[in-house]
Amino acid sequence: MGKEQEFSANKQEWEKTVKKTIQRYPERQEVFETSSGIPIHRLYTPKHPQEEYQETLGFPGQYPYTRGIQPTMYRSRYWTMRQYAGFGSAQETNHRFRYLLEQGQTGLSVAFDLPTQIGYDSDDSMADGEVGKVGVAIDSLHDMETLFDSIPLDKVSTSMTINAPASVLLCMYIAVGEKQGVDPAQLTGTIQNDILKEYIARGTYIFPPKPSMRLITNIFAYCQEELPRFNTISISGYHIREAGSTAVQEIAFTLANGIAYVEAALASGLDIDQFAPRLAFFFNAHNQFFEEAAKFRAARRIWSKIMKERYHAKEPTSWKLRFHTQTGGSTLTAQQANNNIVRVALQALSAVLGGTQSLHTNSRDEALSLPTEESARIALRTQQIIANESGAADTIDPLGGSYYVESLTDEIESRAWEYIEKIDKLGGAVQAVEAGYMQREIRQAAYETQKKIESGEKTVVGLNQFVEEEEQKPDLLKVDEELEASQKQAVQQVRTERDPMEADRCLKKLAAAAADPGINLMPYILQAVKAYCTVGEICNTLRKEFGEYNGI
Amino acid sequence: MKQIRVLIGKAGLDGHDRGALVIAQALRDHGMEVIYTGLRQSPEEIAQAAVQEDVDVVGLSSLSGSHRSLFPRVVEALRARDAADIPVIGGGVIPAEDIPYLEGKGITKIFTSGASTEALASYIKRLVGSASVSPKKIAHIGIAVRAINKSLPFYQDVLGLEVEKVEMVDSEQVKVAFLRIGETRLELLEPLNEQSTIHRFLDKKGEGVHHLAFEVDDLEERLSEYRRQGIRLLNETPVAGADNSQIAFLHPGDASQVLIELCQHQETEGDK
Repeated sequence: MGKEQEFSANKQEWEKTVKKTIQRYPERQEVFETSSGIPIHRLYTPKHPQEEYQETLGFPGQYPYTRGIQPTMYRSRYWTMRQYAGFGSAQETNHRFRYLLEQGQTGLSVAFDLPTQIGYDSDDSMADGEVGKVGVAIDSLHDMETLFDSIPLDKVSTSMTINAPASVLLCMYIAVGEKQGVDPAQLTGTIQNDILKEYIARGTYIFPPKPSMRLITNIFAYCQEELPRFNTISISGYHIREAGSTAVQEIAFTLANGIAYVEAALASGLDIDQFAPRLAFFFNAHNQFFEEAAKFRAARRIWSKIMKERYHAKEPTSWKLRFHTQTGGSTLTAQQANNNIVRVALQALSAVLGGTQSLHTNSRDEALSLPTEESARIALRTQQIIANESGAADTIDPLGGSYYVESLTDEIESRAWEYIEKIDKLGGAVQAVEAGYMQREIRQAAYETQKKIESGEKTVVGLNQFVEEEEQKPDLLKVDEELEASQKQAVQQVRTERDPMEADRCLKKLAAAAADPGINLMPYILQAVKAYCTVGEICNTLRKEFGEYNGI
Repeated sequence: MKQIRVLIGKAGLDGHDRGALVIAQALRDHGMEVIYTGLRQSPEEIAQAAVQEDVDVVGLSSLSGSHRSLFPRVVEALRARDAADIPVIGGGVIPAEDIPYLEGKGITKIFTSGASTEALASYIKRLVGSASVSPKKIAHIGIAVRAINKSLPFYQDVLGLEVEKVEMVDSEQVKVAFLRIGETRLELLEPLNEQSTIHRFLDKKGEGVHHLAFEVDDLEERLSEYRRQGIRLLNETPVAGADNSQIAFLHPGDASQVLIELCQHQETEGDK
């Protein structure tokens, strides 16, 4: 079959899937057109398809998914606008969530405070000074019930930025759902649950890599049976990028981590086509607009090849890389904070043009403190303007076919493959992390960037160029310093009010199960959570069994 | 000059250590010895390490908002160990209005995001007294002469100054004679050939005062600081000068038409 024929055959196949998709998700408008009345087609393709069109680009919703994972992309439905929020107490955060939902946000995204993320109760001495600071403090099921008060869990999808104790927080979410009468099978959302990037870049680890990987595969297996609609991991390049990596390193290291999770899941006996469709990714969007858009396209192409050619997954849903994007926190400046609104808009647009499934836009004041309500609203409005006013969502993969973007996409892909192969040679991502390989590469890139900024080779507006001497200081959000004391009291109250025998019994059973690597810990953790055992108690039980990771 | 020792600490649970790592590397590049204590250190552990390692300064980094409670606790922990003389500086995501509070609690200085590592390094050097902001003294006054032998009798016999040494400086193609006068010296410069800048000077202006040389600490640091301030440098990097020194010239246009040489003598460079 000639290339032209192959092209039209694939196009026809795509058009068939478009028809099916539209039946389920009708397009947003009957007719799309520009302000001048020029019709906007669903997809633009080359007049004379080149030899490699199908191999490198394909059609949206078709292997290798360079042009997007759905046949109609944003013509049917915008990406999920998901603003990460959380601070102080569960009650305060609940108010912010309800506010954001009223403002048109379509998914929740929970930020937890550091003690919760590292498995300490608010009254643990390790938690001093940190309670409720970078996110909400969750000690027990009691806090989780407050967090989702009057928010029906069958109606929202919730993303939780939680890693080392992901199993505990997911069990709390299941338990809250049950109390609301929602079947776990109806729950939708994502837990981050990506421990490898914690060792590489973010630092909120608890256990050594091996038991951590066990917890992760336990969650995969449990959710396959009980929470089939839940994304069981969000393999995150975001933090790798924030730690200073380049765009190429971001996707290379993230996909290498993805390979490690696939290997761990396969080793635990799971079937590739069972768990692969529930893997999700999380990327960053920085300022270099075209490189960022190309990065997302390259990542999709690489992952589909890994899944199809390396792991022989049979289901197309296993080949699709679905991802959430957050604009780059480290690109924001404390100086002239309003400029950050513009940076965020550019970054968000690159993510949309790169085909993201959901998006978080940072607030202008994040280089100074947690966002105020006003800043959070501007950040959300930024997405809504891109969606509703810019027309960027009216055709699929608008940058496809650009000489520049296609060339960047190819180049990013080939450079990322070089890294992936290097990590394979080191024995995979777990070994590479243990040897500090990725950490060193990232540190070097971070240092180079800093030197370029200081030498003026790289311009940062408002920081090393176009500086203003007298700046007005923006209003900042203050986390109530009293919160720590009241949260400590609350967790102590939970301990006195629960059935102590039952809590004790659950923790003992969990300890025994943890000692046997063949046992799935999820049912034990769920029982403990329901008995109001705290995050700290559950994690301490596992610490005793698994030991703690102390960095390298 | 002894090598500056810095401890970089991450107090509390915050795992974002890009800033801490970048700063550690930058300070090392400035010739300092840097001890990074890693993640999740308690204020007591940081103070303990600072005392044990006998550091000159402690740098803390925080992006989680816990600086208000954790930074002062490091200061207290140092006091409890009779080490209140170790200054504590901090950086990270720290709102401007928290700075007076922290300074009131004994934190010596806060660097907020966007501060350059260059500025941080020179601040630390000043803080621990190993670098003076201004040049220390006039190392010598350079005088261009056609022939040292002909000029010497006045300085040596009439004024009674003592010739300290005579040497050739290849980089400038000159022969120089140093005469001590108090804590400074006169440097008579005689061109060795027509390529020498001194030869051109003599052609244009005749004999006379050619330059002032200032003794500085850490010549490279001074050069990069002046470069940042837009001062024109005739030598972008130090070159070998007379009397076992490293030197660099500044453009006279920025100094009221006086040619200024910065020099750093080897014996003051320390164990870098």
